[in-house]
Amino acid sequence: MEGRKTQFLKKEDKKRKNRVITALAVSAGVLALSTTVLAISYGVSESQAQGYKTELENVYNDNFYNLLESVNNLETKLAKTIHSSGTYQRKTLLEASKNASEAGISLSALPLSQNDVQDTVKLVNQISGYTSILAEKLAQGESLTGEEKSTLVNVHQSVLDLQNQLNEFARKLNKGYSIIDSSMNVDSGSNEFSTNLTSLKSTEIEYPTMIYDGPFSDSVVNVTVKGLKGKAVGQEDVLAKIEKLFPNLVRTDFEGETNGRFETYNFRLTNSDDEMLYLQVSKIGGHILTISGTGEEGDASIDESEAKDLALRFAKENGIQDGQVVWSDSIKGDVYFNIAPIQNGIILYPDLVKVKINMATGTIVGYDATSYFTNHTNRVLTKGSLTKSQAVGYLHSTFEIINSRWVLSPLDYNREVVCMEVEANGEDGKYYFFFNGETGELENVQKVIETDNGNLIM
Amino acid sequence: MKKKLISLLALSILAPSSLVGVAVANDLSHQEVVAEAATTYSESVKIQTKLKRWGYYTGAIDGIYGPKTKEAVRYFQRKNGLAVDGIVGPKTAAAMGITLSSGSSSSKVSSSDLNLLARCVYAEARGEPYTGQVAVAAVVLNRVKNSAFPNTISGVIYQPWAFTAVNDGQINLSPNSTAYKAAQDALNGWDPTYGCLYYYNPATATSSWIWSRQTVVTIGKHVFAL
Repeated sequence: MEGRKTQFLKKEDKKRKNRVITALAVSAGVLALSTTVLAISYGVSESQAQGYKTELENVYNDNFYNLLESVNNLETKLAKTIHSSGTYQRKTLLEASKNASEAGISLSALPLSQNDVQDTVKLVNQISGYTSILAEKLAQGESLTGEEKSTLVNVHQSVLDLQNQLNEFARKLNKGYSIIDSSMNVDSGSNEFSTNLTSLKSTEIEYPTMIYDGPFSDSVVNVTVKGLKGKAVGQEDVLAKIEKLFPNLVRTDFEGETNGRFETYNFRLTNSDDEMLYLQVSKIGGHILTISGTGEEGDASIDESEAKDLALRFAKENGIQDGQVVWSDSIKGDVYFNIAPIQNGIILYPDLVKVKINMATGTIVGYDATSYFTNHTNRVLTKGSLTKSQAVGYLHSTFEIINSRWVLSPLDYNREVVCMEVEANGEDGKYYFFFNGETGELENVQKVIETDNGNLIM
Repeated sequence: MKKKLISLLALSILAPSSLVGVAVANDLSHQEVVAEAATTYSESVKIQTKLKRWGYYTGAIDGIYGPKTKEAVRYFQRKNGLAVDGIVGPKTAAAMGITLSSGSSSSKVSSSDLNLLARCVYAEARGEPYTGQVAVAAVVLNRVKNSAFPNTISGVIYQPWAFTAVNDGQINLSPNSTAYKAAQDALNGWDPTYGCLYYYNPATATSSWIWSRQTVVTIGKHVFAL
C-alpha cells in the first residue's frame, strides 16, 4: 500500500514536473516568438525610417545640384550679357532671369535657416527681376546705360562668389556629407547645414543694390505712406471717436500700439451681444485703419442693398467722401464691399477701402482703409481721348460688352494710369480690359475666376 | 464575428465605389451640358483645326460652327464608329483628342491657396484671437511678395524650417471656419501687421536672431516683426 502510494506520488510528481517543463517551454517559445516579432518589426521600421531618410536626402541633394546648375548657368549668361549687345544681349538677359529664378526656387527648398538664407534668396530673386526689366528695355529699342552695365558687373561678381561657395560645398557632399543629419543640429536659430554652407565662402558675398521698378525690387515692398494727414491725436481722443461710432459697446480695451509703416493705437471692442472687434486707429489724424472680427453665422437680418448703404455710410463717416462701391462679393454669410473714391468721374482704384458686413447681425465686422491712406493724394487727372467704341473695337466680336468706365488703374510696380475699363463676358467667363485713355494701348486684363469661396480677379 | 467582419469589409469596399459612381455620373451630365454649347469660338477653332489637319474639313478656320464644320464632324464620326449627329459631345471630343472648356456657367474651382493658407493659420495660431490669425495669414502673403522668400503661397508655407507647425505635421490638421475666415480676409488684403515678415511667441522662441528684428505689433501671444 505504502509502495503504491509512493509510486502514485512519484507519478504525480513527474506529471507536475512535465507540466512545469511544458509551461516553461511554451513561455520560452512565446518569448522567443515575440522577441523575433519585435526584432523583425523593429528592423522593418528601422529600415523603413532609413528608406524615408534616404528618400529625403536624395530630394535635398537633387535641390542642391539643381541650385548649383542654375547658378553655373546664371554666371555664364551674365558674363555673356556683359560682353554682348542688341538682340543677343536681350536673349542672354532673359535666360539669366530664368536661371536666377530657378536658383531661388531650389535654394528655398533646402533646409536652411531663414536668417542664413534670405540674403542669397533676395540676391537671386532680384537678379531675376532686374535682368527681365533690362531685357524689356532692350526690346523697346533702348540700350543699357553705363550705370546699368556697372551694376551687371557687380552682380556677376556676386554670382561668381556664390558659385565658388556652392562648388566647394559640392565637394563636401561628394564625400558623403548628410544634409539631413546636419540640418537637424540646431544652435540658436541656425542649423549646422546653414552654417556649413555659408562658412565655406572664401570671400564674403557682396549684395549689390539693383535700382529698378520691377519684380522683387525694394521699391515695391518699401511703400511710403502718402495719404495720412492731420494732427497727432491722443488715446482719449480716439476713445471718444470710437464711442461715437459704436454706440452699443459694453467694453473697450486698449491692446497696445503698432509701430510700423503706420503708427496706431489698438483696441478690442466688445458689444452687448458679446461680439468682439479689433480696431487700429492712426496716431496721425485719428483715422480708423483696420477693423477685424468674425461676426456670426445665421439667417440674414438685412438685405444686400441695406448692407451696401451701411458700408458707404461708414466709409463716409471715416472721411471717404464720394465713395462708390466698385466690387462686392458674398462669402459664407459675410458681404465684402470695395469702395473707391471718385475724382472728375474717374474711379480711383489705388485708394480702395474694403468693408466687410456680417449679414446675420447686420453689422460691420471688417474694415480696411490702409490702401486709401497709403496712396490717396491730390492728383491731376483727366479722362483720355479714347472713346468707348474705339476701346470695344479692340476686342474680339464674340465678347458681350457689359459696361465701360473711367478708372485710375494701379499697374505693375507703382505706376498709375488713367484707363477705360471695359467689362465683358467672353465664352469662358467674365473679363475686365484696361485700355490706356490716351494711347488706346491695352495695359491690363483681369479675368474673374469663380471659386468655392467667392470670386477671384486675376 | 467573421461574417460581420466580411460584411463590414464589403461595405467599406463598396462605399467608396458607389461614391465614385455618383461622381462619374455628375461629371457625365456636366459634360453633356458642355457638349451642347460646344460651338463657342475657341472650341470651334480647336475642332476645325483638328479636322482640317486630318483632311475631314476643307473650309477656313474661322471659329464658326456652320454647316460645313457640322458636315465635317459627321464625316469624322462616321469614319470613327461614333454616333453620327454632327455634335461634338464627350465621346467625339475624346476621339479628336480635345478638351472642351466648361463655358461661363462652369462649376466652381476650389481655391487651393485659401485651403493651404487656412491650414497654416489653424496649425500656427488656432488659439489666438481672430486678428492674430489674420495677421499670421498676412505674414505668409507678405513673404510671397518679398524678394527674400519663395514667390508662391505653397513655397512660403513649405519652406523648410520656416514654420514649426509645418515641421511637426500640424499643418495636416483640418482647419475650422475661423481659420478659413482669417485666411480669406488676408487674401482680400487685410494686414493688421502692415507688412511684417516674421512672428514669434516670446515665451517659447529659441532663436536669438529673431529678437533682433524690429517689432511692429503684439497681437495675442505673437510678436510681429519686420
